[in-house]
Amino acid sequence: MRIARGVWWGACTLLLVAVLAGAGLVTAATMGGTLTIGLDQEPPTLDPEASPSASTFQIIPDVTESLLYQGVDGKIVPWLATGYTVSPDGKSFTFTLRNDVKFTDGTPFNADAVKWNFDRIVNPNYKAGGSLGTVVGYVGTTVVNDTTVRIDFKDANAPFLAYVAGGNDAMVSPKATQAQPNDVNLKPVGTGQFIISEYVAKDHVTLVKNPAYNRRAPWSDHQGPPYVDRVIWKFIPEASTRVTTVQSGETQMISTLQVPAATLASLRADKTMRVDSVPYPGAPEIWMLNVKLAPTNDLKVRQAINYGVSREAFVESLFKGLGTAACAPLTLHTLNDPALCQAYPYDPKKAAQILDEDGWTMGPNNIRMKGGKPLTLIINSINYGNGNAPEAELLQGQLLSLGIDAQLKNQARPPWYEDNYHCATNGPILFLRSVDPDGLYFLFHSSNIGGNFNWACYSNSDIDKMLVDGRTTSDPAKRRAIYDKIEHMLVDQAVSVPLVDQLSVWVVRANVTGTKYNYSAYPIMTDVQIGK
Amino acid sequence: MLRFLSARLLATIPVVFGVTVAVFSMLYLIPGDPVKMMLSEFQSTPEQIAHMRAQLHLDDPPWVQYGRFVWNGLHGDLGMSIRDDRPVTQEIEEVFPSTVVLAVAALAISATLGVTLGIIAALRQNTWADVTTMMLATLGISMPSFWLALMLIFIFSLYFGLLPAAGGGEPGQIGDILAHLIMPAVALGVGAAAIIARLTRSSMLDVLRLEYMNTARAKGLNGATVVLRHGLQNALIPIITIFGLQFGALLAGTVFIETVFGRPGLGRLVVNAILNKDFPLVQGGVLVFAIGYVFVNLLVDLVYAVVDPRIRYG
Repeated sequence: MRIARGVWWGACTLLLVAVLAGAGLVTAATMGGTLTIGLDQEPPTLDPEASPSASTFQIIPDVTESLLYQGVDGKIVPWLATGYTVSPDGKSFTFTLRNDVKFTDGTPFNADAVKWNFDRIVNPNYKAGGSLGTVVGYVGTTVVNDTTVRIDFKDANAPFLAYVAGGNDAMVSPKATQAQPNDVNLKPVGTGQFIISEYVAKDHVTLVKNPAYNRRAPWSDHQGPPYVDRVIWKFIPEASTRVTTVQSGETQMISTLQVPAATLASLRADKTMRVDSVPYPGAPEIWMLNVKLAPTNDLKVRQAINYGVSREAFVESLFKGLGTAACAPLTLHTLNDPALCQAYPYDPKKAAQILDEDGWTMGPNNIRMKGGKPLTLIINSINYGNGNAPEAELLQGQLLSLGIDAQLKNQARPPWYEDNYHCATNGPILFLRSVDPDGLYFLFHSSNIGGNFNWACYSNSDIDKMLVDGRTTSDPAKRRAIYDKIEHMLVDQAVSVPLVDQLSVWVVRANVTGTKYNYSAYPIMTDVQIGK
Repeated sequence: MLRFLSARLLATIPVVFGVTVAVFSMLYLIPGDPVKMMLSEFQSTPEQIAHMRAQLHLDDPPWVQYGRFVWNGLHGDLGMSIRDDRPVTQEIEEVFPSTVVLAVAALAISATLGVTLGIIAALRQNTWADVTTMMLATLGISMPSFWLALMLIFIFSLYFGLLPAAGGGEPGQIGDILAHLIMPAVALGVGAAAIIARLTRSSMLDVLRLEYMNTARAKGLNGATVVLRHGLQNALIPIITIFGLQFGALLAGTVFIETVFGRPGLGRLVVNAILNKDFPLVQGGVLVFAIGYVFVNLLVDLVYAVVDPRIRYG
């Protein structure tokens, strides 16, 4: 009996050791390693304050940090700041800062560093990117003390908190940036969980974990450095090659930009893969209708187009798994009002009726005519190097079935911009990422005609006033009501044709867990673990 | 020989001069305001536009701007990339070696494969070997290089998992660089190999019929010596010519291959710069391509002189 009991305890001990060892082995397997990610394009710069391109912000959230953080749920929480207050007039923002943060070059993060960063954005000798739009009316930054800083604006600036949390205003080291003039575009120095260790132009950028990181990021499941040792972002513009790399394991995660929806469907069905989808905030893929140029200067024509374009067809054919039908100039994720979707249900018969009543009757070659002139319009379609965008061609086909001769003006980015500035076509197809409904200001305020991005060339003093009210009203509920009213007015006026609320879609190998995304739908790698 | 070399070098100068004029002029031939085009992506103020115009000296007379362009170029300064805000020279230096390596590897593959197949076809004229090699050559000419690239990726990366599909390899790691080079070089070189094979075959056939080849065989020389030393060496002139011309085609082809394989390279750099209307970068890249091509053809002319003494003393 004693021997049997001894055997029993020995067996249990052995079993316990085996289980613990196994658990240890499993835990060890998920620590460390290299995550290789395929991205569709090389960013023009990795300097967050200089970049106009979303591609920068796929990579940089792991390297630089901001005063505030906004998660996928939309809540804004402290990050490098411990808290903030806003003056009653909405013009001044006081941030209290953490006192335990250093940039990865050893420079302390403090109020002077914050002031340096914001002053840099507005410096006329500095070519700021999207960050410039976040500090409209900037007066200056005052260092109250080492851990307190006040940022002042000429007018109330309610969206500023969302912009601060959005990534464009991420903090870079003043000392390192001044010492590395051009190299800040390749290896900016931040306070984040990863450090850029290598940049091979047109090939890849390597991030290594910052072993000195001892905080807990707002989204993270742990305190301290990331689990993986390295993240390599490879620039693979060709979509089919990018897909092959994740299938073969050469990469463990890819961006699905320009990957056809049919290919995405087959990847979804692959059990060795997982598909992460996160809605983008801001404006959907949208066709802005130039209200100054015939025939889109005619409200009836614009309304008929909205009735006659099937968003569902876009989603089913081109955007399956990559987006949902859009209803308004802001995505439903940004401002959720289902009533906006009732305005223009797909009804080609109604579209035809409106056009008939407006005098545009079907003529020869199935193109509508009025006063001897055909119903012709020009869509400004951007060419990224692959010819016409498929959504432009789908739109053209749908308009043709309504009797509208839509011609695509397919051109590279700079002349595309020029035509938009000069209101030279019936409008471009575009999307706009914005972490705040204030994105409508850039799209529809009359001051942005001829600039970025009022390419509907739309001028309405009531809308202008409400857009300013939205910027200067602090109460979230009141702001939402203002922007909702603006959206209803814009939809009634049919200033645009919203097409697809886009999703940020990433294909990830199933053994990679812990991928997270911020409100801007950009990935963060702190909690990623690579299993066997 | 020295006189020949000097004459050829001197002849290169007006060609390079013409290239610099053409490259410089492109800024003025594009319709629209180049500064506004270059800054279109940024929310530029009138002050920033004026600042850039001054920075690019666009208000100076064209001949002054050209002189500055050449003077700065000779000192390694090709201006700043508008989009990336970095020196053009630095951007080109980063990617140029990768393109050279790819082009040289592709040329080596095309030369080895093309000449070998051409010799086999010529020696085995009108046999199955001749027909097969020429059929392969036709296939090689007809196949688009980017399609071949995608097929190679599908087979060797995805199906067999043998070779990496994307990138140029980790700098400094020769094995990794070679692994990343094989498929792109093959995809790029096959088309040129096919053309070289056909030309080698016809050139060899012309030579093999000549009487001195009978003399060589009658002397009892072995087959390899007869074919390679007496035959190929005299068939080389048109083949060397096609190498020079094919190098230009290879440089053009690097754009597709670099894009499909996600390799860093000058081709991709220039195409992206064109799409972004980044004029300084376009000018710098095109200048490097053009001068590179001029010097490769100079090299071809010098190789003529080495191979054929008649040219040396002509």
